Amino acid sequence: MESFLEFRDVTKSYGRIHAVDQVSLTVKRGEFFSLLGPSGCGKTTLLRMLAGFEQPDQGRIFLDGEDITDLPPNRRKVNTIFQNYALFPHMTVRENIAFGPRVAKRPSGEIHEEVERMLALIMLEEHAEKYPHQVSGGQKQRVAIARALINKPRVLLLDEPLAALDLKLRQHMLVELERIHDQVGITFLYVTHDQGEAMSLSDRIAVMKQGHVEQLGRPAEIYEAPVSSFVASFIGDTNFFDGEVLDTAGTDYLRLRVEGLPEVWCYNDKKKNIGDLVHLSVRPEKFRISKDVPSDEPNLNSVQARVEDIIYLGSLTRFRVRAGDVLIAVTQQHSRFLLDQEPIQWEDDVWISWHADDSYMLDRVTPESPGTNGDVGS
Amino acid sequence: MKRSNIPLYTTVAVLVFFYLPIAVLILHSFNASRFSGAWEGFSLRWYIRLFQEPDIWHAFRNTMVVALIATTASVTLGVAAAFALHRYHTRLQRIHYIMIYTPLVVPDILMGMSLLLFFVAIGAKLGLGTIVLAHTSFCVSYVAMVVLARLQDFDFSVMEAAQDLGAGWWTATVKILLPMLAPGIAAGALLAFTLSIDDFVITFFVTGPGATTLPIQIYSMIKHGSPPLINALSTILIMVTFVLVWSVQKLMEDKHA
Amino acid sequence: MSASRHRAEWWITGPSFIWLLVLFVVPTLMIFVITFRPSDPWGGIGDGWTLETLRRIFSGHYGAIIWRTFWISAVATALCMALALPSGYFIARASLRWRSTLLLLVIIPFWTSFLIRIFAWKVLLHPDGYVKQALVFLRLMDADTSLLYRSESVLLVLVYTLLPFAILPIYAAAEKFDFSLMEAARDLGAGKIRAWLRVFLPGIQRGLVTAVVMVFIPALGSYVIPDIVGGPTSEMIGNKIAQRTFVDRNLPHASGLAAGLTLAVLAPMLMVLYMQARRPASKQGAR
Repeated sequence: MESFLEFRDVTKSYGRIHAVDQVSLTVKRGEFFSLLGPSGCGKTTLLRMLAGFEQPDQGRIFLDGEDITDLPPNRRKVNTIFQNYALFPHMTVRENIAFGPRVAKRPSGEIHEEVERMLALIMLEEHAEKYPHQVSGGQKQRVAIARALINKPRVLLLDEPLAALDLKLRQHMLVELERIHDQVGITFLYVTHDQGEAMSLSDRIAVMKQGHVEQLGRPAEIYEAPVSSFVASFIGDTNFFDGEVLDTAGTDYLRLRVEGLPEVWCYNDKKKNIGDLVHLSVRPEKFRISKDVPSDEPNLNSVQARVEDIIYLGSLTRFRVRAGDVLIAVTQQHSRFLLDQEPIQWEDDVWISWHADDSYMLDRVTPESPGTNGDVGS
Repeated sequence: MKRSNIPLYTTVAVLVFFYLPIAVLILHSFNASRFSGAWEGFSLRWYIRLFQEPDIWHAFRNTMVVALIATTASVTLGVAAAFALHRYHTRLQRIHYIMIYTPLVVPDILMGMSLLLFFVAIGAKLGLGTIVLAHTSFCVSYVAMVVLARLQDFDFSVMEAAQDLGAGWWTATVKILLPMLAPGIAAGALLAFTLSIDDFVITFFVTGPGATTLPIQIYSMIKHGSPPLINALSTILIMVTFVLVWSVQKLMEDKHA
Repeated sequence: MSASRHRAEWWITGPSFIWLLVLFVVPTLMIFVITFRPSDPWGGIGDGWTLETLRRIFSGHYGAIIWRTFWISAVATALCMALALPSGYFIARASLRWRSTLLLLVIIPFWTSFLIRIFAWKVLLHPDGYVKQALVFLRLMDADTSLLYRSESVLLVLVYTLLPFAILPIYAAAEKFDFSLMEAARDLGAGKIRAWLRVFLPGIQRGLVTAVVMVFIPALGSYVIPDIVGGPTSEMIGNKIAQRTFVDRNLPHASGLAAGLTLAVLAPMLMVLYMQARRPASKQGAR
């Protein structure tokens, strides 16, 4: 795999706390790569080490084959979009954007052209002579982007750029960022704690926790095949079932004994044997919920439950149902006209069912995350 | 629940208390009569007399020279001090901070006395030179505190941004930090200037023959008569101070709040 | 910390540090040193060391003056606090638009030459001045008593000049005070006064201490005020220091008195410094 950007065994500690603990990862050229995790997981520290504002205690950082670990920030071909934009308040929008090329002493004709091009890219031509305090949050964001991109960096670093924006603006900027990435084609390294942003923008995501990478992969891989209960519950909602293997039907499927539920079938992709402990994650949208008894399909798990909670969201409904002692989260998509059907009400007795192929076996259970029987993790 | 009106009444009373003597002073500077007990009509004669007094002009010139030199020197020292105090947190800075802070709390008479003793002990000739040294010394603290306050409110991510965009440390300081800090530095300079032109006690202790400043002139006029001229001179000084302080306040306001 | 960072720190700190060392710390120490030197006949400082000055000071009947200096300063401080508390509270509670106007109104006299302000009172309290005329007219006093040249006039002008030093710290502390705590106290049954005493005052105690110190210490060192509006019966220690310096031309003696004043001032000053030094260092963009 051609590595364009590489972190090799990077460690950074503050006192006894490892903010970044021997992290190694590579980013491909032109990729939109996200570092996703809760606050304190080390994603921002990693970003700042790449930008040059922090020095790793151990490990090296390579950009396009060059070891940049010891370079000062102003000599790296890397530019950052700061969380609070950090626009220069005493300079106009135009002067802010022109700053990088001016410092690099480019010819003024070339600077002028480039600035015009950038203003067009971010669609702020009429605001070029305004000062930062005269433009809105979203506009400041775009100026920050232009100010960075004009230098044609090899990597653009974005440090939670949408955190300060309200919902509508955030959704708009998500589209903008995607458009700019496609148009400009450079590598984006994006840091966020918002899994929605990461999933919708990224080519690949690295989920981080307490200084190390829990899982790295494409958004769909991370969502559907989480390696740990932490990843499973950090991204989206899920249900956890822990069980002991009772039986192996051939080598493809396992019959499990899960506390509080009748026997559960799951797909045996990790090649488990009788007596092994298995941790399953089943996403709420993988269930079918109905008042009718489900048909007897092979490898279909069915459980009776009582509805405890309903949240109607228009296109879907989130249910919380109780099967025996176990609370299960189920999401039902309304793909048919709802009013033609008899709706499911509180305290209804229902059947929920899911296919053995649709559960996923976790590699490990993260100690602090919920990982016990039927715990709804979100 | 009705709020007590005591705070309001007290504040109004305090403000009246503050401005009453000043108002009377300004009023009487336009009083044709010598005596402040009687009003004899509006007149500018004292102002005219003031402009004709050579002593006053001499003192004015001295005051300006001293203030300009002291301001320049104290701003240079004070800005450097503020940077040091903000950036470093060593034992040295803690001592440094005490040295900067203490002059603000020490009574003028002790500062004046100590400087006089110092100058006499080293055999320095008392005059404008010693006054400049004294003024610079007490102004440094004020400038340093004003600039330090601005530095503490300063968002340094713009410096990181400048470096990120290719500027070295020096370029970033000159193109980003100093322009953004300029209003704070100007506020400190105006403060130093105001303090210098208004100082009496310290100047009185370290002055020598021929080195009269306006406050010293005013003092000798108070002691030896001619109240109406003092009224006029005082009014002018009050107006100048008003303009300077108002400018400082404006500069200290965050324009981009 | 690296060696180059050390060097950089010394370069930046050096100028102001050395300047203040030479022109502030050393002179302050000299006050104590010169006390032990004899005075020379031309009003300067002689050679050698002597305890003569110290002896003369202790036998010099300064008790009355020291006591007067102390009680005038204390009363002035008390009066200032009584006026500054309601005013500082009021300004902190005022709407933003009014607040900056009020602050400006308080600050301007604060920066006007205090010599001018003292003189203004001399004019006001003059036997022929308006105030005297008004008071006589209202039969509150007879025409013989003087408003000037007494301890009361010194006290009045002291309060006048030092009041801003009390208002500003109290205002600063009150501005940062979370007034919903007062509402909580009222909600829990406390009366207005009790809420004020038990919640507000402790909440701004730092400002209170600063205000007291910023009034009391300069008051102790007053010289010009007793000189201009005070009389022989209202002299304070500052007057004596000036007298010994300029009239008697006895520098060591003046120095000895100044040394005493310095010690008296040192105690509350150190307290303020201790509190200031405990303030947390500014944030540096920690991640």
